[in-house]
Amino acid sequence: MPRLTARLGDWLDHRAGWRAARAHLLDEPLPAGTGWWFTIGSVLLAALALQAVTGILLSLTYAPTPDHAHDSVRYIEQSVGAGRLLRGLHYYGASLIVLAAAAHMLRVVVFGSYKAPRELTWLTGLALLLVILAFALTGYLLPWDQRAYWATVVTINIAALTPVAGDLIAAVMRGGADIGALTLTRWYAAHVIVLPALLAALVALHLYLMRRHGISGGSRNSSRLIFPGSETAQGNRGKSTGRNFPFYPLQASRDLVVILIVIGALVAIAWRGAPALEPVANPADAGYVPRPEWYFLGLFELLKYFPGRLEVIGALVVPGLALLLLALLPWIDRGPSRRPRDRRAVLAMVAVMAVSLAALTAAGWRDRPPPADPGWTIRELGGMAMVSDGACARCHVDGGAAEPIRAEAVARDATWVAGHLLDPDMIAPGLREPPAPAGEREVAAILAYLARARRSGAPPALAPGDVTATRVFAQFCIGCHRIDPGARDGGDEGPDLTGIGAKHSAEALRRWIIDPEAVDPDAEMPSFGTRLTADELDALVQWLISRR
Amino acid sequence: MTDPASRRSLLVWFVRAGITALGAAAAALAGAAAIPRAASRPARWVRAARFSDLDPGVPTPITLTAARDDGWHRARTPRVVFLLATEAGEVRALSATCTHLGCRVSWKGEADRFECPCHQGAYDRDGRVIAGPPPAPLPPIAARVDLAADEIHVEI
Repeated sequence: MPRLTARLGDWLDHRAGWRAARAHLLDEPLPAGTGWWFTIGSVLLAALALQAVTGILLSLTYAPTPDHAHDSVRYIEQSVGAGRLLRGLHYYGASLIVLAAAAHMLRVVVFGSYKAPRELTWLTGLALLLVILAFALTGYLLPWDQRAYWATVVTINIAALTPVAGDLIAAVMRGGADIGALTLTRWYAAHVIVLPALLAALVALHLYLMRRHGISGGSRNSSRLIFPGSETAQGNRGKSTGRNFPFYPLQASRDLVVILIVIGALVAIAWRGAPALEPVANPADAGYVPRPEWYFLGLFELLKYFPGRLEVIGALVVPGLALLLLALLPWIDRGPSRRPRDRRAVLAMVAVMAVSLAALTAAGWRDRPPPADPGWTIRELGGMAMVSDGACARCHVDGGAAEPIRAEAVARDATWVAGHLLDPDMIAPGLREPPAPAGEREVAAILAYLARARRSGAPPALAPGDVTATRVFAQFCIGCHRIDPGARDGGDEGPDLTGIGAKHSAEALRRWIIDPEAVDPDAEMPSFGTRLTADELDALVQWLISRR
Repeated sequence: MTDPASRRSLLVWFVRAGITALGAAAAALAGAAAIPRAASRPARWVRAARFSDLDPGVPTPITLTAARDDGWHRARTPRVVFLLATEAGEVRALSATCTHLGCRVSWKGEADRFECPCHQGAYDRDGRVIAGPPPAPLPPIAARVDLAADEIHVEI
């Protein structure tokens, strides 16, 4: 058997030359001083690979249309196997890639690894950074929630500031007259086809150039050290300052250790999923305060300091100059020495840039609006309506058989309250005529209300019709439908009713609720014509119609 | 018989020209498909509010949901305009979109000004910039009043 494997290996090697390729990849000679700091590039590569895998898995379910994008992302989180983790990994993976790219660049700057003849490696790295940021921007729109929509509004408006071609660039980014279906499809195409192709090509070029000149190694090596075995080794004028070693297995093990630690940390952070989806994109919402992801906060903050016509300076000129300065580093810092102590001026300049960006980001972080109160869920509101409107009020009133309910001060635990609701007689036998036992959903709603009231005090005021409607919804509809902004609570057997008022007329909704099968013989929803009173039906229909 | 050297240079020229032409054709195709045709939306008049519902002198946000073409489908995207009625029976309409980066401004009655949440841009009740980075006033929107029918129409 071993002989057969060896022969098969020989046969393949003769045809494909895989042994030489493996040796080329694994026996890459590394100069002295290539240590732990040189693992960051590998971490970045691993994070990009993981992002590609999670991206492909997300694309199996994601639908890039305004009608379905938000729903499909929610479906991924709620119904796809490991969907929550998957989206969490992709979401936090983007931040990891930006962090790893920044760390890798800082390593290259501190070690002076960009010096001749490695200028092109540095420039392809900068191009890769821009591609990574373009990935982050285009990916941001895809969930089609409020955060996505408004971040894209700001991005396109910034692009429109470009002198001369600004309007054309903005039109190409938008695809249509407004941000809508045509924007989503082209940003999706950019995110999953154009940018990945560009990324793959640039990574290949970056790695080819790295191998062509060899790893630079510790900063005591001269930049003129072009490593033996590399394509440009002839005419090598530098000397390695210590013993050289092959990439495999020592450096490969270091890479793997750091990759495992970083990916492990990413999984731990992503385990509970990405931040909750916000409500579906709504251009009319005045309450929404757009804020970009943390790695664009510095740029966003910078725009504040350039009013009126100076806007273009903050949006394009300052970032453009910073990028140009970085691109020119190999020509600004020309001496052969790579030691930090010989390059204090250049390192100070880069440090000033990094500190400025960090300070702007911190200022943007400080100025961010307080997280919006997501409001009460329908279940919580319905529970409140049941307490104030329903059977509880028969006894729990001033001068009644029991104290009025002050929800925020109820000290009993959930088990006691549930027991009391399911069997009121149990708590005070014989004292009074017990109300009909509550159903499971009513218990859930009332418990949700009490928990919420304890947590956030005063409930929102509801119109009388809305009290009835939320009570009915929390009692009958919530088992199969969601309707809260952000769809935070409810079942998934029926359609999400967020914005239902914009889709149907009151009459159509009424007919459907009374007898779904009369409207659609295949309807699975039970009929509620006999279960709801006329007032309840009116209130429910009016309330649904108001949900736009 | 042609000289081999000149034939070779002719072939080199042919290969280079051919590849350039193919590249140019691909770029033209990409440009045709990626640059949107007439990215403008025909304006139309829509009923925005009843005149009697407006509080004179107070900018009131009105959400309009006119159907419009969005690629292959008709979208009902909400859009906000501010209506400002005068005692004399006139109405002015202003866009609610900040001229800085396109965020949605709100009317802050207590400060008597429009404010943008993104970079703290501010406008007075006529839409003129009074603070922050906005480069231009809030764009006015054509509005007309039919007092007899108690209706306000705006062009969006």
